[in-house]
Amino acid sequence: MTSIRRDILIGLVCLALAAALPLAMPGRYVITQSTLFFIWAIVVVQWNLVLGIGGIFSLAQMALFATGAYATAMLGFYWKVPMLAAIPMAGVVSVAVGMLIGLACLRLRGPYVALLTLAIAQVMYVLIVNDTDCFTTTGGCMPLFGGVRGIGQFGDIGLRALFPSKWYIAHYYVGLALLAVAVTISIIVIRGPLGLAFRALRDNPGYAMSRGISRFKYQLWIFAVSAFFTGIAGGFYAVHFRVVGPTVFSFSTLLFLIAMIVIGGLGSIWGPLLGAAVLMLADEGMRELSDYRNIGLGLLLAVFVIAWPNGLNGWLQRSRAGRG
Amino acid sequence: MDVLIQIIASGLTLGAMYAVATIGLSLVYGSLNMLNMAHGAILTLGGYICYAAIVHAGLNPALALLAAAFVCALVGLLIYFSAALPLLRAENFETNIFIATIGIGSVIENLMLKGFGPYPIPQPLAVEGQVVIGNVHIPLQNVFILGVAIVLMVAVAILLQRTSTGRAIRATSMNREAAQLMGVRVGRVYAQVLALSGALAAVSGVMISSIATLTPVMGADPMLKAFIVCVVAGLGNVYGAVIAAIALGLLEAATQYVLGVRWSFATLLLLVILVLIWRPYGLFGKQQVVRL
Repeated sequence: MTSIRRDILIGLVCLALAAALPLAMPGRYVITQSTLFFIWAIVVVQWNLVLGIGGIFSLAQMALFATGAYATAMLGFYWKVPMLAAIPMAGVVSVAVGMLIGLACLRLRGPYVALLTLAIAQVMYVLIVNDTDCFTTTGGCMPLFGGVRGIGQFGDIGLRALFPSKWYIAHYYVGLALLAVAVTISIIVIRGPLGLAFRALRDNPGYAMSRGISRFKYQLWIFAVSAFFTGIAGGFYAVHFRVVGPTVFSFSTLLFLIAMIVIGGLGSIWGPLLGAAVLMLADEGMRELSDYRNIGLGLLLAVFVIAWPNGLNGWLQRSRAGRG
Repeated sequence: MDVLIQIIASGLTLGAMYAVATIGLSLVYGSLNMLNMAHGAILTLGGYICYAAIVHAGLNPALALLAAAFVCALVGLLIYFSAALPLLRAENFETNIFIATIGIGSVIENLMLKGFGPYPIPQPLAVEGQVVIGNVHIPLQNVFILGVAIVLMVAVAILLQRTSTGRAIRATSMNREAAQLMGVRVGRVYAQVLALSGALAAVSGVMISSIATLTPVMGADPMLKAFIVCVVAGLGNVYGAVIAAIALGLLEAATQYVLGVRWSFATLLLLVILVLIWRPYGLFGKQQVVRL
């Protein structure tokens, strides 16, 4: 079986199982947590493109997610743009911001990129939180970016009105559809020309460059592609939770997501999804011990990087290779 | 004039604190190519150990400072043996150690949150009184911090330039393979550097918490600033880092006065981004020529 066929098969099986979940477990808690899983999975799958395929050590993905969420909320709040138009527009805004960050990082090497992107995310957080001047006073004082409290009341995609009692199931399917598209794009990127270019640049940079493969061009492309879906995931997050606040920049979310990628397997197609699923379940398991959640998460992250740097995906592949 | 003295006084204090926090990071990056993301947590741990040693164990403040440095040096060693040593044997060391130390930092930070609670605690190691220059009152605490920082920096410089340990550290950061071939025990150098970095972080944590307060997350901000200093100076360049730290401290004090506290951090970061675009390897860093 070729790898593309295998990917399509795995994808379809996962999609079918996920589509059947609300029928099997219609409880509201399970459904909303799964929707959150879809959102994080989109971010993680797109982040994996930059981190694992492009080899660019960017920590700006949560900043791009936040850009999408804030752009959606602000378009709705200030200009009353309907959410169905605002979310794709937010994706475009994220692409613009992602390209800017990508341009700033182009000449930098590994750890410098990580530090610069972390610093950019931190600047955005600090500027939003420290802004206390009132931008509008309709409905109380409100800074341009919502300040510490964030932005609310910016509209809805209409599913709450359409299915008053079952809207969360409708959101579940929207999340699933977005994830399916995001995963498809990631497969196309990894198996297609972009992935090929990055593999060539990694395996023999001199030969690849002399054949006219420009690292800068492909790095910008991969930044733009991954920023678009991350921004859309941010927009959906905004609509789903009806409020966007500076908590999306929190370091524990960043830790949670990077742990998903590492534990699942950096640079693989299904690893990040697997990691996201495992960590969401582990997080549920640790809910009772909420104080120890971040300790457990940190330990898991360190232990996995040290003992199994290829993650669960690498471990699965090794055990399959061992059998066959 | 008074404003200028005020800015210079607080800028030098800030710069001195950043410098001590940065030296450790820079040494570790220089010799191991390792960005230690747990540095902020170690720094905070130093502050808490000093607090606990004075308040709970009743130690003399000088001894408490030493105890904090000692415990954090042990933590540095622990990071070397548990994370850096196994990862050095595998591929992608730079990426993996970065991620692993994010995890370790989170563990240390949350253990402190469990142990000491989330509420700010004042640091008992404080010096009373003030000096008056012109019309400006400068707390003796600031002078004390500046003094400790200068003593530490001189000590590190002597260690690096005049001792055989220092020569081994410098040789390793110049060229790991060559140093190894010349009989430098690279593993021991790594362990020493991480322990030294932990001890320096502890001292800077005590100093920072004596001006602000102790909270489990207080290390994040100085760590980010230390990273900025490292990046501006060029990663691994220790002496450049000291100059950049003091320059950034002065700049921060000046922007705080001119633009307000709110914008100072953003301005700093904007400047750093511009510096990096102009000189991607830092102000004092050497451009690495990559041959294919």
